[in-house]
Amino acid sequence: MTQTTSLETFFLLAPEITLVGAALVAFLGGAFAGLRSGWGVSLVGIVIAMALVGGQSSDGATIASGGIMIDGFSTFIRWLVLASGALLALVQSGDLFRSAVSRLSGLQQRFSQGSTCEEAGTFLILLAGLSLVGVASDLVLLFVGLELVSIPTYILLSLKRTDAHGQEACLKYFFLSLIASSLFLYAAVCLYGIGGSTNLVVIGDRLRSSDESIGGIVTVLLPVTLAMAMAGVAFRLAAVPMHFYAPDVYEGTSPGNAALLSTLPKVAGIVVLVRLVSLGIPATLGAVGSGGIWYLTLFWQLTAVLAAVTMTVGNVLALMQTNLRRLLACSSIAHAGYLLVGVAVAAAAASGEADRSLPVIATGSLGLGGLGATLFYLATYLVATIGIFAALTYLGHRWPEWTSASGPRPPREEIATIDDLNGLSSTNPVAAFSIALFLLSLAGIPPLPGFWGKLSLAISALEIDFNSAIAYGNRRAACVALAVILVVNAAIAAAYYLQIIAAIYFRSTKRGVQADGGLSAGVAMLLCLALALMVTLQPRGLFISASRAGSDATVDAQLLPDGQQARIHDSNTSTP
Amino acid sequence: MENISPSTLLMMVPLLPLAGAILTLLFGKALGSRAHLPAIAGIAGAALISLVLLVSTSLEVGVAAGLHAEPVRPVEMITPLWQWATVENAYTPAADTHAAIPGTPLSATTHEVRPFSITVALRLDPLTATMLSIITCVGLLVAIYSIGYMHHDPGYPRFFSLFALFVFSMTMLVAASNFLIVYVFWEAVGACSYLLIGFWFYKPEAARAAKKAFLVNRIGDFGLAVAIFLLWMSYGTLDFHDTLSANGTIVPGILGQTRLADAGGYQLSDAAGFAGGTIGTVICLLLLLAACGKSAQVPLHVWLPDAMEGPTPASALIHAATMVTAGVYLVTRCAPLFVAYPGALVMVSIVGATTAMVAALIATVQNDLKRVLAYSTISQLGYMFASLGTGTLLGFTAAIFHLLTHAFFKALLFLGAGSVMHSMGGVIDMRRFGGLRRVMPITAATFLCGACALAGVAPFAGFFSKDEILATLHSKAWPEAHGNHQQESPAAGHAQSDMSRFMPTALNVSTGTTAVGSAGSNAASVNDGLNSLNRPDVWQLLFSMSLVTAGLTAFYTFRAVFMTFTGPLRVPEEAGHSAHESPPVMTLPLVLLATASVVSGWVLWSTDWLTHFLSATPSLTFAAVAQTAVPPVFHLNLAIQGTLAAAIGIVIAAIGSLGRRSDGPQIERFLGPLGTLFANKFWFDQLYSGLIIKPLMLLATLAAIIDRSVIDGLIEGVARVPLAIGGLLRQLQSGMLQRYALAGVMGVLLMVLVLAWQLRS
Repeated sequence: MTQTTSLETFFLLAPEITLVGAALVAFLGGAFAGLRSGWGVSLVGIVIAMALVGGQSSDGATIASGGIMIDGFSTFIRWLVLASGALLALVQSGDLFRSAVSRLSGLQQRFSQGSTCEEAGTFLILLAGLSLVGVASDLVLLFVGLELVSIPTYILLSLKRTDAHGQEACLKYFFLSLIASSLFLYAAVCLYGIGGSTNLVVIGDRLRSSDESIGGIVTVLLPVTLAMAMAGVAFRLAAVPMHFYAPDVYEGTSPGNAALLSTLPKVAGIVVLVRLVSLGIPATLGAVGSGGIWYLTLFWQLTAVLAAVTMTVGNVLALMQTNLRRLLACSSIAHAGYLLVGVAVAAAAASGEADRSLPVIATGSLGLGGLGATLFYLATYLVATIGIFAALTYLGHRWPEWTSASGPRPPREEIATIDDLNGLSSTNPVAAFSIALFLLSLAGIPPLPGFWGKLSLAISALEIDFNSAIAYGNRRAACVALAVILVVNAAIAAAYYLQIIAAIYFRSTKRGVQADGGLSAGVAMLLCLALALMVTLQPRGLFISASRAGSDATVDAQLLPDGQQARIHDSNTSTP
Repeated sequence: MENISPSTLLMMVPLLPLAGAILTLLFGKALGSRAHLPAIAGIAGAALISLVLLVSTSLEVGVAAGLHAEPVRPVEMITPLWQWATVENAYTPAADTHAAIPGTPLSATTHEVRPFSITVALRLDPLTATMLSIITCVGLLVAIYSIGYMHHDPGYPRFFSLFALFVFSMTMLVAASNFLIVYVFWEAVGACSYLLIGFWFYKPEAARAAKKAFLVNRIGDFGLAVAIFLLWMSYGTLDFHDTLSANGTIVPGILGQTRLADAGGYQLSDAAGFAGGTIGTVICLLLLLAACGKSAQVPLHVWLPDAMEGPTPASALIHAATMVTAGVYLVTRCAPLFVAYPGALVMVSIVGATTAMVAALIATVQNDLKRVLAYSTISQLGYMFASLGTGTLLGFTAAIFHLLTHAFFKALLFLGAGSVMHSMGGVIDMRRFGGLRRVMPITAATFLCGACALAGVAPFAGFFSKDEILATLHSKAWPEAHGNHQQESPAAGHAQSDMSRFMPTALNVSTGTTAVGSAGSNAASVNDGLNSLNRPDVWQLLFSMSLVTAGLTAFYTFRAVFMTFTGPLRVPEEAGHSAHESPPVMTLPLVLLATASVVSGWVLWSTDWLTHFLSATPSLTFAAVAQTAVPPVFHLNLAIQGTLAAAIGIVIAAIGSLGRRSDGPQIERFLGPLGTLFANKFWFDQLYSGLIIKPLMLLATLAAIIDRSVIDGLIEGVARVPLAIGGLLRQLQSGMLQRYALAGVMGVLLMVLVLAWQLRS
């Protein structure tokens, strides 16, 4: 690990600083320089940030500086954030919400035009916060990053839709997010109580030490810590028990915002989970105290149960939906469950290895390992989800059913239900094909990206204690059960995904869609399609980077804070 | 051209038709009546490149060395495109499985982590080059013909898009160098076939035929899938060719040159041998099942005649010339796997000869011109299988030779039939027209060429290839009659003793290393049971069946010729007054194919070029195959026998049909009860309906009743619980913010309590 001065810390944070700078340009330009649309600025900012991240790749070395840590994991997250940020910016810039309810008067129209600068700036702040979450190695910075994700989200939700539905969605999200944040703050306080520091590395070190007094503290604080932390994470993932808002909010907001809600907070949630689980995982050979083992054991049990419940609840709810965005919200709940599987598996594997005082990476991880599988799945989920919402944004509105004889032309209707997509294959073949492909990927049909994701999750679960018997109460039984539940859920999910595809391809309609959502959303859709096809044909690159990010997260997070020696990562896992 | 590497050219062969298919799909509507252009341009390019590749490969093989004094050098070129689905450290083989990377001995205790990857690679060797040329050239001619034939069809762009897609899939199938990729395109050609049979999906017969073809093919595909699982289990790779592993050692492919060179005697000393024992036999039989499905062999032949519901050009290309030969290709490619098991091989021949005879018998009483040709396709494919089953080099090359000539003359016959159908207003029943040679002279002449080739009349193509097949069967049936060849080189009889020599070692392989060690004794008995079929008298029977089939072939072919083209002119009323010769765009391919049907046999046979060329295919340079090479000899007595059979068939057909009204059921009357048997196609469909479909329907009905009465009752009982939960969930999902918050906080509290309880215990 390399320690740096505070000036160098600024350089390390250059991508985030760039994003904030671009946000300021958008805000000020919109207010004073008559900038029409801030989305161009935001795209430029994101591209510059990408270039800066690319320039920083430091051959797997871990650099800690102040409260931040740049390692393989945080670099992976940064790429994920910036790439999905770029795609979402394209979607958002096309997402000019115009509905029957808020059919615009001239004044509103101007307001709506001008507001894109605020939207773009807010969106950039959100990205910067999320990226900060990725690099944070300090509880305070982590929390600040999370709030930097949440607060812009409220603003975006309220800016986009000014009708009652939109305001209701925004308020719901706001209040529930506050509860989740405050609960997470409790967990942070408890972690501080355990570790006596806000630095995650120090907390992890203390947690695993064999000091008896720590064991006592841990057993008292652990239930509250884990449950409260999980509440904060679950809200961002839209996992049980904080999943309730998702269908209402997605339905109430615009497709672009739904795309944002179903992706970026999930990334934040996964980052927090990974950082938390790595607290208990030892970097090197050595005994772990009872505190660490309890931590990991409770962690995997809790996440495994939540994963199973979340998958099932999400899919069962989704089966009942006819509204497209509600359905996708329920499906995003289910996907949060899938994502939790990998984390649970990683914790379970580590708790076993901790028992035996063996290094995790050397023997424990065949295939991708739990964290790598989760990160891989996250990437494939992001591509497919952003793609679907991009397509919905692009399609925009349906033509109303209207003949000149039947009176004045009725207002346009937004695409809301599955039936609105009837016969899309004949009117918009490219969009129809893209949506079908993304849905099949989410359903996990081979050889699409989602299949590789579900496969690696299931394999990572099946690999726990591969050679031991399956007996009641052991980790292998639980993980095998988890894999089975995952597969069964994937089968259930296929039902509602295929229902949409059936509507697109096998039904016909007299009314087409207008495809008035803007070209940029269409471009985002095509980019997602290209990415999905790339991963289909060659999943190897993503596999490698995800598995490296996963192993980096568990190895490097608990390097000694005073770190005299720079620990360069194992040479055989360096960049290809 | 010099700057373009053969690899690039090889990639172009499938890519051009694919591009054509996509362009037709995208711009078909815009192109309108010119929608054929992208597809035909793509296929034409592919055909040109295939011929270039054929020439370059044959240059590499070199000229025929007369008697094959020394073994032919294997020629292959591998073009890896990319590694698909690579997962590092993907799996550890369980301790007791066979799934080792061959060449690296696996001790029982090591849990070595292995990477998983699917190689997408194309290969070029004589077999592939030959198949590519056949597919693309015949495909091109048929596509040109379709311009005229499909002219007025509303689905014109769709047809050409599917057609080009089929050519793409088929070229990938024969060029792929990995069993999994072969499987993918095996399914892809099946899908194209399904879509083209059901091209006129609004006709219920077409939809039903498409469904039937698809379902029957599933059985064969299932065989292929299981065979691939077993291959993976036994060899730890699915590549045909050798590959380099990450640490620089050679990983022998299943049909790679390392294994072919090493496994000369099926020794276990080197781990790179072929899987032995039961597994080996089962793999062969499953591959045979797969081949039976795709190539319409008994008992899976029932789909092909119904497939004639599709457009005639599709029938010509897919269901006569190319796709149905995929089974022949697969068995030839896997020759080294088969030759170790005389039992499995003789099964191939038995299936083939039986199919040839059964189909020929059924064909004698068909009145639908296209169905006659469909049954004759099944019958000719049976010939090829009979030839493959001999396991000799001549057997394999003769099968491919017949495949080639058959592709030409069968495509010709189908296109001729299509031409007739086109001008008869869609009528294809031979009893309703006659004497058409007056109105369609070109069609009649070319059809006659094809018929002569099919019947095996002397200088036409089919005569030479059929003669080679009869010769190879004859050499198995009467090894001593071919004794004089054995002195010159190791010949068929010798090979047989060779095989019996290394059978014991093959069995040792099984007891030594198969996962099913306990099944060792079973392995012996299964193999012995099949091997006992490998007797001269069985082969004599098969030879006689083939000879009889040759006579039957000539009979039904000429019966069709006489009924259609001779006698007084009769046209059905559907044709109106427009009975006419087809336009040049349709007759030109006919003429070209007719030329090929006339000369290809003589050219290839007299120069012995094809046999020599194919013998450089890696699979066929395998010692046990290559040892059976025989010098090219014209078997006069066999030729006389074959010609005699054909002549008798033609004469009977002439007596039965010429000079009379040909619409009477005279053949049926003559055959008596046998006629009923043939007319009902040996009751195969009824048998399947009775044995499989009806019981399944019954089972389904029963299941439906149980489902409705018992299960539904139960479910409705059980469903109260999820409904209650659902009601609860829905109540929670009420849209009320307070409740959401309450539920969330309660959930967190529950988590705290459960975790605390966990810690305490």
